[in-house]
Amino acid sequence: MKKGLIILAVGVLLLFIIVWNIFLVEKKPVAPVQEKQPERAQVKTEDGKALKVGFVYVSPVGDAGWSYAHNQGRLAVEAMEGVTTSFVESVKEGPDSERVIQNMARKGFDVIFATSFGYMDPMLNVAKKFPKTIFMHCSGYKTAENMGNYFGRMYQARYLSGMVAGAMTKNNTLGYVAAFPIPEVIRGINAFTLGSQSLNPAVEVRVVWTKTWYDPATEKEAAKSLLDIGADVIAQHQDSPGPQEAAQEKGVYSVGYNSDMSAFAPKAHLTAPIWNWGSYYVDIVNQVKNGTWKSMAAWPGMDQGIVALAPFGAMVPADIQKKVLAMKTDLTAGKVKVFTGPIHDQAGNVKIAANASAADKELLGTTWFVKGVIGTTE
Amino acid sequence: MSAEIIILLLAATVQSGTPILYATLGEIVTEKVGILNLGVEGMMMVGALAGFIAALYTGQATLAFLVGGLAGGLLAALHGLVCIGFQGNQVVSGLALTILGTGLADYLGTPFVGQKVTGFSAVPLPLLADIPGLGPVFFNQDPLVYGSYLIVPLLWLFFRNTKWGLRLRSVGEYPEAALAAGVSVHLYRWAGVIGGGFLVGLGGAYLSLAYTHLWTSGMSAGRGWIAVALVIFAFWRPERALIGAYLFGGIMAFQLRLQAMGTHIPSSLLLMLPYGLTVLVLVLSSRKGTRAQSPAALGINIEPAE
Amino acid sequence: MPLWHSCLVLSGAVLLSLGISAAMLAFQDKPALEGIVRLFLGAFGSIWALEDCLVKAIPLFLCSLGVAVAFRLQIWNIGAEGQFALGAIGASWFALTFKGLGPLVMLPGMLGMALFAGGLWACIPAVLKLRMKANEIIVTLMMNYIAILFLDYLVYGPWKDQESYGFPMTPVFSPAAVVATTGSTRLNWGTLLCFLFGVLIWIFLRYSRLGFELMASGENVRCARYARLPYERLVILVMVISGALAGCAGFLEASANLNRLQPSIMVGYGYTAIVVAWLARLNPLYIGLASFLLAGLRVGVENLQLDLQVPAAFGSIMEGLILLTVLAAGFFNQYRLGVHKK
Repeated sequence: MKKGLIILAVGVLLLFIIVWNIFLVEKKPVAPVQEKQPERAQVKTEDGKALKVGFVYVSPVGDAGWSYAHNQGRLAVEAMEGVTTSFVESVKEGPDSERVIQNMARKGFDVIFATSFGYMDPMLNVAKKFPKTIFMHCSGYKTAENMGNYFGRMYQARYLSGMVAGAMTKNNTLGYVAAFPIPEVIRGINAFTLGSQSLNPAVEVRVVWTKTWYDPATEKEAAKSLLDIGADVIAQHQDSPGPQEAAQEKGVYSVGYNSDMSAFAPKAHLTAPIWNWGSYYVDIVNQVKNGTWKSMAAWPGMDQGIVALAPFGAMVPADIQKKVLAMKTDLTAGKVKVFTGPIHDQAGNVKIAANASAADKELLGTTWFVKGVIGTTE
Repeated sequence: MSAEIIILLLAATVQSGTPILYATLGEIVTEKVGILNLGVEGMMMVGALAGFIAALYTGQATLAFLVGGLAGGLLAALHGLVCIGFQGNQVVSGLALTILGTGLADYLGTPFVGQKVTGFSAVPLPLLADIPGLGPVFFNQDPLVYGSYLIVPLLWLFFRNTKWGLRLRSVGEYPEAALAAGVSVHLYRWAGVIGGGFLVGLGGAYLSLAYTHLWTSGMSAGRGWIAVALVIFAFWRPERALIGAYLFGGIMAFQLRLQAMGTHIPSSLLLMLPYGLTVLVLVLSSRKGTRAQSPAALGINIEPAE
Repeated sequence: MPLWHSCLVLSGAVLLSLGISAAMLAFQDKPALEGIVRLFLGAFGSIWALEDCLVKAIPLFLCSLGVAVAFRLQIWNIGAEGQFALGAIGASWFALTFKGLGPLVMLPGMLGMALFAGGLWACIPAVLKLRMKANEIIVTLMMNYIAILFLDYLVYGPWKDQESYGFPMTPVFSPAAVVATTGSTRLNWGTLLCFLFGVLIWIFLRYSRLGFELMASGENVRCARYARLPYERLVILVMVISGALAGCAGFLEASANLNRLQPSIMVGYGYTAIVVAWLARLNPLYIGLASFLLAGLRVGVENLQLDLQVPAAFGSIMEGLILLTVLAAGFFNQYRLGVHKK
């Protein structure tokens, strides 16, 4: 009896699915179907309704790094007048993200920020179906009429932090604890290396991949492995401040990331390249509010304050601080570019010719290390 | 590799093996009484957070460590309630515990991101730390590592030579006989589950108090699962757990150092090493005829018939 | 035991866990009752929500169907995660190697490769268990990590798409290699495959001789040996079935939902599958129901996050609580109240 009922229920469910499938396949559309959705953003704000802004994060806000920094940016937007925000965290790239983004669009969010590379194709799919919603994707390269992409030129700040590290090392060996061999990380390591070489040509940068974003114990262990073979400045592309602790305990120096990590290693922390999403998000939301938003591929840098350098530690000598700040001024003004040739890869081949500088497209797809990096990009 | 680097590697081995060792010992205690608790990962997460918060508010590292253990034990008690009290399926309950524990730690812990505690740091033991070779490897560690050195032989003795230890084992081996001999099966099972959870919680607290001094979500990062596997690897024996934990921690530390020294092997392949070698060692040691001795009544619920 | 009784107990358990969750919501100054309603609306409240649940339930269903078959024989296969990865790898290999094929050859080819790769991967722990007496729990668990790292190696290395700006993913599959979605929905034809496999496994377990032997051996391994049931062959068989089903899930996920292979295909379906399989008491029909409900819970929680701004972790807490209370409720089903009297 009991079994019979359940069999019946499941059978009906499956039948329902099949019928539904067959029914829907009949009217298979050529172009993506555009769903009904609420009226455009600007109209709503005039009505006095709040602008709804949604964020999609790849990890929990408690990751202490990437998503945490984006969430700080969200809080800045939340503080704006006439704007409400909401977010979904720990959203896996792939089908889960498409569902989340689509649900946000259905619920009438006016602007949706998706903050991981893997959200690009799912977001593009959704953007085609919801032409009146504005989509913003972080760290990708695809755009649509109603979808822009954005990222920050973190490598500029990385270059500056590399200068500090190169000037402070005694062994000429820098250690770099890195998460995954993706272009953003590789680009950062290259910029860091070029920066350190600019003040100390003899320097070498050793890279250890952890294949984790936030596993403080493993990341600290990775830093220790670099310290064991003689590195005396530790830099990192990880969310957790684990590597900072390792440097502090060993009594050497470190360079943080994401946000000012000096609290975790006051004696070691030289500086840190940091993200500052708040002002950028506020800016974009204002554009939407005023109706001036247009699809774009934005890659702002230090000039717009999206990336910055954390305050120097007291151990950084004044003359080095001066050199770094001078470089910062030049970078900000656009007088100097980080990736200006001649730049060689690990094997010594010229990748960027003398006096030429790399195009953004090349930079976005960096898969090779510059000369002076010891490690593999696989 | 110079001798100096090898000694540093071995010292790192001990430290990265310690949280896994605590967790493995905890799961051994749990399984000895016949209860399978797959919630190790969740208990470690909760232990890490509870220890961290306690250290933040009291500043007492030892107390915080114990609080981490208590939190693990408390979560394990939930498992006990479902499996001993309500005869629920142990596999699902354990997995549910992992989901619950991970969620709880994340939920309660987010406000504590970006904070730092003092916790434990290395204290060289007088005299012992000066032994060439062994000293820097084993006796220049933090107090919690020394604690784990003590727990292993104590547990070994406990299960072999004490009345309570033998009863605990009998409850997991042959509960009907234990019941006939007048042993309160449920009481001992409860003790095993909570005691085991306590040790697992200590392993979690080690991560946030000694290995590092900070908290992020997902702190235990899969170590709980490794512990579950190592229990079988250890054939439910504390001394073999020590070998397993150090083997695993050691290969992890080794592959990082291999990268630091400069290698062209892709990191994905290097990371396979600890898992692959664990299987290899298991296969070799299983073949030698030392049959894996799992507690006979492991995973079997005992009806409330007392 | 009358049906209404177990229904009553089960709904009591779910209500209890929802009550605790509501109390937690209220504790944070969120509207408790509204939260629970929103959870349900998010999961089952609209056609597209149902559709999302089904999409998410497909890989869960296939993986747990697989592990359930192994559990029947008391083979503790917790390697569905790795077998899922190998299935995705196998299917992707086929799609990337034979680009020019039409869908009629391509899709069966990919499916075949996925079943083969998943089954082969699951075969290794089975052989190690029989020949070397190596415990399958530890071998399958470790092989999960190895499989995922192997997938990583492929997409970060040899299979990396040259057009993807250096990001770890293979090129997009040719249109022939994509399992079609039905109309405007996100639901794909894999649903039909699930149905087919579900029925096949059900018939196999219930009506075939091998299935009978399997159930009998699972009940008591020693008796089975006396009865000269081919235990060793059965172990290999269930592991291969188990792996092949997980592999099929990997194929569907890669082909229909991602259209390529990338690391984010691994979201832990293989582990959740174990929960589903046990919760459903290893019965294919209940597995279908349980994976749908669990998928619904996960989808619904996102709605809760969006509308009420509760953190994602709250969803895990709820899921854990519901599982624990449902388990505990099973007690009242088996014993009724008053069992302590003796």
